[in-house]
Amino acid sequence: MATATMGTRVPTQEIRQKKVWSWSQPWVYLVALVAVGVAVGPVLWVVLGGARTNPQFLTDPAGLPNPWNWGNYADILGGQFAQRFWGQLWTSSLIAIATTAGVVILGTSVAYAIARFPMRGTGALFSVFAAGLMFPATVGILPTWIIINEIGLVGNPLGVIIPQVAFALPTTVVILTPFVKAIPNEIEEAASIDGATRTSFFFRILLPLARPGMVTVGVLAFVGSWNSYMLPLFVLGAGGAPAHQHTLPLGVQMFTTQFSASMTSIMAFSSLALIPALVFFFTMQKYIVNGLAGAVKG
Amino acid sequence: MKTKIRAGGIVALAATVALVASACGGGNEPGDGATNGATGDGVEITWWHNGTGEPLLSFWADVAAEFEDANPGVTVNVQAFQNEELRDTILPNAIAGGTAPDVFQSWGGGELQDYVANGVVKDLTDFIPEPVAGAAEAFRVGDGVYGMPYTTLPSGFWVNMNLWEQAGLTEADFPETLDDLFTSWEKLSDAGIVPVAVGGVDGWPAAHWWYWTALRSVPTEAFQAAITDGDFTDQGWIDASDLLQTILDKNAFNPGWQATSAQQGAASASGMVVMGQAAMQLMGTWDYGVMGGIYNEAEGLDADAQEHAEFLRWFPFPQVDGAAGDPAAIMGGVDGFSVHADAPEEAAKLLAHIVSTDVQQRYAAMGNIPVDAGATDSMPAGPLSDAATAVANASSVQLWLDTALGSAVGGGMNSAIVAFMSGQGGPQDVVDALTSLAAG
Amino acid sequence: MSTNVEVGEPRADTARGSSPALRPSKRKVRWFEVAGFTVPALVVYVAFVFVPIGFGVVMSLHDGSRIAPLNNFVGLDNFINIFTGGRMFGQPFFWDAVRNNFLIAILSLLLQGPIAIGIALLLNRKMKFRGIVRMLIFVPWIVSEVITGVMFQMLLMPNGAIAVWLERIGLGSIAGTQWLADIGTGGLTSVTFWTVMAVLTWKYIGMAIILFLAGLSGIPDELTEAAQIDGASWWQIQRKITLPLLGPTVRIWAFLSIIGSFQLFDMIWILTRANPTIVGMDTMATYMVQVGMSRDRVGYGSAIAVVLFVITLIVALTYQRFILNRDIGKES
Repeated sequence: MATATMGTRVPTQEIRQKKVWSWSQPWVYLVALVAVGVAVGPVLWVVLGGARTNPQFLTDPAGLPNPWNWGNYADILGGQFAQRFWGQLWTSSLIAIATTAGVVILGTSVAYAIARFPMRGTGALFSVFAAGLMFPATVGILPTWIIINEIGLVGNPLGVIIPQVAFALPTTVVILTPFVKAIPNEIEEAASIDGATRTSFFFRILLPLARPGMVTVGVLAFVGSWNSYMLPLFVLGAGGAPAHQHTLPLGVQMFTTQFSASMTSIMAFSSLALIPALVFFFTMQKYIVNGLAGAVKG
Repeated sequence: MKTKIRAGGIVALAATVALVASACGGGNEPGDGATNGATGDGVEITWWHNGTGEPLLSFWADVAAEFEDANPGVTVNVQAFQNEELRDTILPNAIAGGTAPDVFQSWGGGELQDYVANGVVKDLTDFIPEPVAGAAEAFRVGDGVYGMPYTTLPSGFWVNMNLWEQAGLTEADFPETLDDLFTSWEKLSDAGIVPVAVGGVDGWPAAHWWYWTALRSVPTEAFQAAITDGDFTDQGWIDASDLLQTILDKNAFNPGWQATSAQQGAASASGMVVMGQAAMQLMGTWDYGVMGGIYNEAEGLDADAQEHAEFLRWFPFPQVDGAAGDPAAIMGGVDGFSVHADAPEEAAKLLAHIVSTDVQQRYAAMGNIPVDAGATDSMPAGPLSDAATAVANASSVQLWLDTALGSAVGGGMNSAIVAFMSGQGGPQDVVDALTSLAAG
Repeated sequence: MSTNVEVGEPRADTARGSSPALRPSKRKVRWFEVAGFTVPALVVYVAFVFVPIGFGVVMSLHDGSRIAPLNNFVGLDNFINIFTGGRMFGQPFFWDAVRNNFLIAILSLLLQGPIAIGIALLLNRKMKFRGIVRMLIFVPWIVSEVITGVMFQMLLMPNGAIAVWLERIGLGSIAGTQWLADIGTGGLTSVTFWTVMAVLTWKYIGMAIILFLAGLSGIPDELTEAAQIDGASWWQIQRKITLPLLGPTVRIWAFLSIIGSFQLFDMIWILTRANPTIVGMDTMATYMVQVGMSRDRVGYGSAIAVVLFVITLIVALTYQRFILNRDIGKES
């Protein structure tokens, strides 16, 4: 393809400059601005909506708050809805962190076994996990729920965490296996000459090397868990857990039906519910792209 | 042939994995899930209700505390859930899974029959006090009564009197017959006022119109036959749709009613009435609280402020000349509580306390319609007491048709009615859909 | 350059071992190591993914309710009813749901693919604020389905913000459109169908962009720089070098997107206020929940789940056989 011209390289500095001052730059910024506007606009509208009173929202649903009113946010953070909100924030965090930990630990060890154990059956093992991609949690929700109930985990965060780990394993294994395979064999060989067992190689060498991939699957699992609705609805909602032990999406849905009279309170509650996930994602964003790059490019 | 096998046993069979099989050992028996915290001599009763908003939330908590004081050693664990979540998801799953509470919200109808058929709920016949016996008929299944009613929620028209008077109408113009209603709509339209708000996006508020035309069009016996046997062959079921078509042809509904929500915020049907954008809405009596909440929010008042908009009035669905149905029957809901079959004896006593005259009077004083006629006087004067009078004068209270038919038929019926109201099909299509839904 | 995400069996990695004596295959595999690495994950996976599937299959042969899911063995009746049942007035119809799933799958690819590639190429350029732009474009993907649904319901309601904005920019004539309540049997002529497509694009395009950016970051700068020196324009470079090299990533994204489209539930359920039938927006998953849960026929619902699983599996295997295999084939 286009690799024949490597001989005539010029200093990269010049190229960079040429790129930055290309004639098309204004268009690039314009397109970027529109894309960002479309992506963030609706969310911003909700955040601003929370800073309005209901009469304001009624007279002008499209404008800016005037004057700004922080009462809705104050009610949730420190007022009548505080116990509910902070409790749900804690439950969501607990479930998301535990799910992430479970997915990363189990997923990495299986991926290592599939990628590195010279046995028959590792390929079949990979297919078994990959097949799970085709089976969504929604479809299995009823039998899953019956099983969770049988082992007595209804109303218990574990009843959400364990099935979520199980359903996140296919994606995890599919992303991590190539990642582990891409780690050069020489490293493992050198380690084995030094007397390292597979187990100690896994913990001492592979885990640090596979970190970008693990961060990627971890973030995917975290966001998936943070946003999931059906399973918490069945396990926590139908389990009779009180409102402050629900997860935030469940909380938003219940808040929406329960306080349907106050659109602006609903908007404030929704805004506060999505901020933790946004902060988490923004801090992890760099690793996600790098980690996925490892996955899609081997 | 029906073979009844508990879910648990089959899970163990299906689960060939040893882990699951062994973990199943600790499975709950139905009914003890929520109560297994009971220790020693103490009895714990779990009670789930739908009163998530004040003042009802505190009221039920007080009632539970009183019962605890009167019965040493009994603890009542009260929990409130949002009504639709409780009815459609939380309660059925908890009952299916054996984590059901001892005392729970009950709406009667098809669901209750299902619970009775599976031996989930207790027959309360012996515990029903005389004053509420009439309303308790809503919870009759066969020879038993499986629920204790505490309130009636009749359906009727909520009117914004400001708009009503703006069109030159007075309370004396509250319609007696359907033609009167049409006349009022014309006057409202002439005054540039949207006569009726309908929250069509939620399905059931639109379907309520058809329930009413059916109640007026179908002879009482045929109506009951349809509910018990799924027999919709009576001509009245066709007339019901024709009658509704006549109503629709008046073009009185708010433009875009199919996209309007029932009760969500000021742009909803309830919001339109209370905010003066539509003159009336056909809705159950809970609408008074919903409209009050929207009004308070929109006016910047405290959300829990009890000063409901003073310009709201209530009148019942009018008579229809020449229709074959019972002209004195009223459509509505009866809310009550059922007791789990495995609940301790004290649970039924708790229900007796809930419907005691004293509690019913205090309940009525908060502006609710009690089932004990002796407590009706405690209601503050206003539209709700007018609704209570209408219930007292009615020949019978017909349970919401979707509730009466149960979720297997009711949900599909509502879809068919909304499709009909949107011009997707004719009267026969609705009847055909109902017949095949009821046949399962 | 290798591309290792594949859904089939991974290739044996033979190219990199340096000397036969030291290849991993010669080292002893101890059973407890194998067990330690695989059994915990397998137990969780089998117990909470495979057992529910198996139990679902068993339930699909019964006509039970939630209280007694295994009441009344009916054999294959549920499946026969699914495929031969006629359209009933106002009721969810299986073939409408299947049609919607296929339409959504295809249109998601056609709408999200080009836009996402364009934005990814853009964000891969060296420009000011690139980091911030990247972060902000992913925001919709982080917003949960519940909040997305509530948000767009509010934006699109009659006399809501969208209607007000449309009027302000002189499009008052379409301000009254019933975005989420165009009643009928759905399909390409339904306004609601396109509204839902727009929301889906808004919500899920972030994932496509992330994947494409990841793919682009794997393309060595030297290639594009060399072409640039040869006088190739930015467009030429994208067309002749970047896009072909991005191919494998696009095909993997398409695979995930198709599977996601077939399993679509939350977004539709919330946007249509749990009533997708009236606007003709049923998918196989909402059909399953409507009939299985809301109408308490868990046997029939489970049968739909099984059918959905099999359809997804067939589509996935076909895709893998004819499209993903191209990538794997290139390796050898």
